[in-house]
Amino acid sequence: MKIRLAVQLCIGVVGLAAPLAAQGSRWWSWPADPDPQAVERGRPEFVRSCGRCHADNLTGTAKGPNLIRTARLRKDADGTAVAAVVRAGIPARTAGGSAADGKAMPSFQLADEAMSDLIAYMRWAVQKYDRVSPGAPPDDYPVERLLTGNAAAGKAFFNGAGGCNACHSPTGDLAGIAKKYPPVFLQARFLMPRPTKPRTADVTLPSGEKVSGELKVLNTYDVTLVSGGKTLTWPAEQVKVDVHDPLAPHRALLPKYKDDDVHNMFAYLWTLQ
Amino acid sequence: MKNTYVLALNFFVLATNVPAQTQWPSLNGDESGRRYSTLKQINVQNAAKLAPAWKFKPATGATVVKGTPIVVDGVLYFTVPDHVWAVNAATGKEIWHFNRPSRGDRIANRGVAYYKGKLYFGTPDAHLVCLRADNGRKLWETPMADVHFGYYMSNPPMVVKDKLIVGISGDAGDVTGFLKAVDPESGKVLWTWTSVPKWGEPGSETWPSQEALLHGGGTTWVQGSYDPELNLIYWGTGNPHPVLNGRDRAGSNLYTCSIVALNADTGKLVWYFQPSPHDTTDRDATESVVLIDGVFRGQPRKMLAQASRNGYFFLLDRKTGDHLLTTSFGPQNWSLGLNKRGEPIPDPKRDPSPAGTLLQGSGTNWWVPSFSPATGMFYVNANIGVWSLTYLTNGAVQGGLDDHQGGRESALSPGDPALLALDYQTGEVRWRVGYGNPAGILTTAGGLLFTSNSNYLVAMDQTNGKTVWKTNVGGPASNAPITYEVGGKQYVVMSVRDTLYSFVLPE
Repeated sequence: MKIRLAVQLCIGVVGLAAPLAAQGSRWWSWPADPDPQAVERGRPEFVRSCGRCHADNLTGTAKGPNLIRTARLRKDADGTAVAAVVRAGIPARTAGGSAADGKAMPSFQLADEAMSDLIAYMRWAVQKYDRVSPGAPPDDYPVERLLTGNAAAGKAFFNGAGGCNACHSPTGDLAGIAKKYPPVFLQARFLMPRPTKPRTADVTLPSGEKVSGELKVLNTYDVTLVSGGKTLTWPAEQVKVDVHDPLAPHRALLPKYKDDDVHNMFAYLWTLQ
Repeated sequence: MKNTYVLALNFFVLATNVPAQTQWPSLNGDESGRRYSTLKQINVQNAAKLAPAWKFKPATGATVVKGTPIVVDGVLYFTVPDHVWAVNAATGKEIWHFNRPSRGDRIANRGVAYYKGKLYFGTPDAHLVCLRADNGRKLWETPMADVHFGYYMSNPPMVVKDKLIVGISGDAGDVTGFLKAVDPESGKVLWTWTSVPKWGEPGSETWPSQEALLHGGGTTWVQGSYDPELNLIYWGTGNPHPVLNGRDRAGSNLYTCSIVALNADTGKLVWYFQPSPHDTTDRDATESVVLIDGVFRGQPRKMLAQASRNGYFFLLDRKTGDHLLTTSFGPQNWSLGLNKRGEPIPDPKRDPSPAGTLLQGSGTNWWVPSFSPATGMFYVNANIGVWSLTYLTNGAVQGGLDDHQGGRESALSPGDPALLALDYQTGEVRWRVGYGNPAGILTTAGGLLFTSNSNYLVAMDQTNGKTVWKTNVGGPASNAPITYEVGGKQYVVMSVRDTLYSFVLPE
């Protein structure tokens, strides 16, 4: 049972550890990035022995300090300084201490290999803390956090102020939408979907002739259309361009959302299971 | 050099007496941050004829050249992380190359500083390195900060009188920012100013605890400016920490997201202005602080302007720090208006939240703007009307903090990038060209504005934004344009991807 669990953990979380290591060249690190296998072997030991006071992610609790911010961990090139503390514990600075043995931090006797795995996990946690991207939340972001709105109010917005029902239907294109996407993804994409159709444009040439097609380039200087299988480019200053953006209604709606509308709309769409 | 600078500073008054500045001896050409050159061989009438002079592709180490070159005595010096090159500024031939491998954040290196025959640059592991300019041999190096906490150096020092002023990059390890004055001969640190006050000192009341303050952020990763007459250094500081989680740091969080004026001899704070009090969306105020001498409401003034990452244009009296003007150059939904000091008041309802907060912002970033005394316009590549959802994610596990970001931002709509010409006296957009690139700007006495737009390198008429020259070499500029004169010929240099491109008028 124990072994099976360890294997499952390994498979389940290796994917998390690997990308951090792969980014190594952009970042400061110890002489070597922690080995993902060692990280997963060290994780349960840390959670069991250290997490209660230092938090499983090393950011500290009322009982024990934040280890992410300690020089001892970050500057310990070969792991010996951290191992020494784990094995010796830390004597209580004040009478009584906090641990059963009277120490401020109890000592833990680990074999060399287990110690090296424990340190690999701690290093991985530091890297995870430092290197996190500020982008979208992960797909497993809990739906409970997003469900602060009122589904009935969301439905009213959908059919009323939002005007969503002009293009969408809960029994048509949106049927079962809540099952199709992770909740945090659904919330971002109902506000601004990823385009499924390209932008098109009507280009009016100096002669008055009109050409329509898929818009490939539009900037200060160039307009490029694909029309009838041909790629056509004009200087932007010589033509008139009418762009048809399939997402235009979504763009126009963004400034109109009131605070609650977003959460009400999400609550409503989440009912479309 | 110094005389040239003092004269250039008074350009408004002495326009016709200014000798042309033939060199480009520092990141922004001089300490004013204006990126304005007095050269006019290339001008609005003839710029259409600009042609390639040389190009230089570093043989090693460069995927993108983000460094802005400097030119001193006919030699052009530029960097990518860990590397410095000296190149003949007239021919593009390599003179020497220096490489110092390191482990650290190598997202960018912006260039070198020059002082009395020596070059100074920062490394991914936060060391300041001094080289001989003639042969690239290392004379000394010294750590400016501890790389183990994610510090690195992307900007070169700024030379102020006989000192090097060093800013710092890196916010991953919940560190605080600082400026150091360093002796160019020995590398000895002469003074240090930290971006957060000491606990108990004025400003510390804007933090809830000493712990929050000590991990409060405020890095100094874009170069500042200097007024020799007032002997004041001006610098913008970065965002507070954790980046998106303001709940653990109630207060305005001084001196993060601030513009500060420091005494150049002592490093003591003389005044501050905070473009983004209690920032919760990474709107750091590190952008160029540009010195303007001119009139404001009929009175001659010494001023400082910043187009900030938060979408506001600020004009201050640079002697006193008094606020003169705050205008918005793009829509946003996070500000409730301005306080008495002219600083935006953040709407707490727009803070990142567990359920997601719909945020609109506009702004600019590290790519440097330019001010032309000839037009009185402040030019900036900005991004207008960006939409996102911001999440407060901290506290998902026990321990309170998840990571140094403290939240996430889900992009919805990228906004419209545009080159804006702002009237410095009113903040009004006098003209605008869409499809701007995240590239620096140069203006010249030839009436030109050089930048990158629509993935072309371009020269525009600075009075109206009309394009007078453009060339497509495969993408937008990855650094800021510079100009200089060697052998009677004016050159313009910009980089695209891994190559520097130089342009001149044909013979």
